[in-house]
Amino acid sequence: MSKQEQIQVVLAGLNAAVPEIKGSLLASLDGMPIAYALKVGTVDPARIAAMTATALSVGKRTSESLGAGTLQEVHFAGTEGRIFVYTVAGRAALTVVTPMDTNVGLIGLEARDMVNKLLAII
Amino acid sequence: MKHSAVTPLKLIISGPVGAGKTTFVSTLSEDPVVNSDEQTTEEIGKTHTTVALDFGRFVLQGRPLHLFGTPGQSRFDFMWEILSEGALGLLLLVAGDRPADFPQALSILRFITSRNPMPFIIAVTRQDSKGAWGPEKIAGYFAVPTTRVIGIDARNAQSSLGAVTCLLSLIEGSTSGNSRNPFHSTSHSTSNSNVKEST
Repeated sequence: MSKQEQIQVVLAGLNAAVPEIKGSLLASLDGMPIAYALKVGTVDPARIAAMTATALSVGKRTSESLGAGTLQEVHFAGTEGRIFVYTVAGRAALTVVTPMDTNVGLIGLEARDMVNKLLAII
Repeated sequence: MKHSAVTPLKLIISGPVGAGKTTFVSTLSEDPVVNSDEQTTEEIGKTHTTVALDFGRFVLQGRPLHLFGTPGQSRFDFMWEILSEGALGLLLLVAGDRPADFPQALSILRFITSRNPMPFIIAVTRQDSKGAWGPEKIAGYFAVPTTRVIGIDARNAQSSLGAVTCLLSLIEGSTSGNSRNPFHSTSHSTSNSNVKEST
């Protein structure tokens, strides 16, 4: 199985573990999509990749500047949903899109688990 | 506690990948620059690229100036939009030795000035490179007056300052009347869609 297929399997596994997840995407830190499993068909993966790279970069800088240490993750909460962005060993970014009423604790556990799996692949 | 009453002037520094935006902001900033360099995964002729912004500031003749450098790739066009909000002027950097990037530079120029009409100057970098286009030729390509184009070395503070001074006098000249921005468009595009080539 190619690397991309392996990553795809991990992302699909995450979406299956928490069915309300609308989509997940792995991007390079310069904002290029690597692999994705998106149910929200209207969103352009290239756009999500670029935006999460920007968010992570600003988060990293903010975290360091305000004494919060090395950035681990960034959360967005909108009126309709939540977006979680996790760093994958400072080499990539895992983005998870969920509805507003999601189980935040479970997402955190599952996503961390997936980050470890992704680390083994990339 | 009393704060300075002088409002900082916000300038946006944009242009294609490798034009020298990060260098330019770093050269002029008096503080350590807030930047967002990440390792590239594309073949763009360098190892790192800006993914959010470069922020630098300095004081010129008692006026605080804030410089906001953008990413160069179109996938970050939302940052072009965000950073140009409230900017008083645009400095478009173009590498004179990379004619293949000129269409991208023109797209950026149109993208920004059609959404937020503002005075702009084109600063041509890498003038010491063999075969590099000079300011006059660049003015012809972008169909703008030669007074709007200046050749600079983004690594050199004096030279970079020249571009800022040039932009500031253009801003001062345009605040009294209507902007004579040739790219000013009345049709306002609100979406995040890619750059439209208007003719």
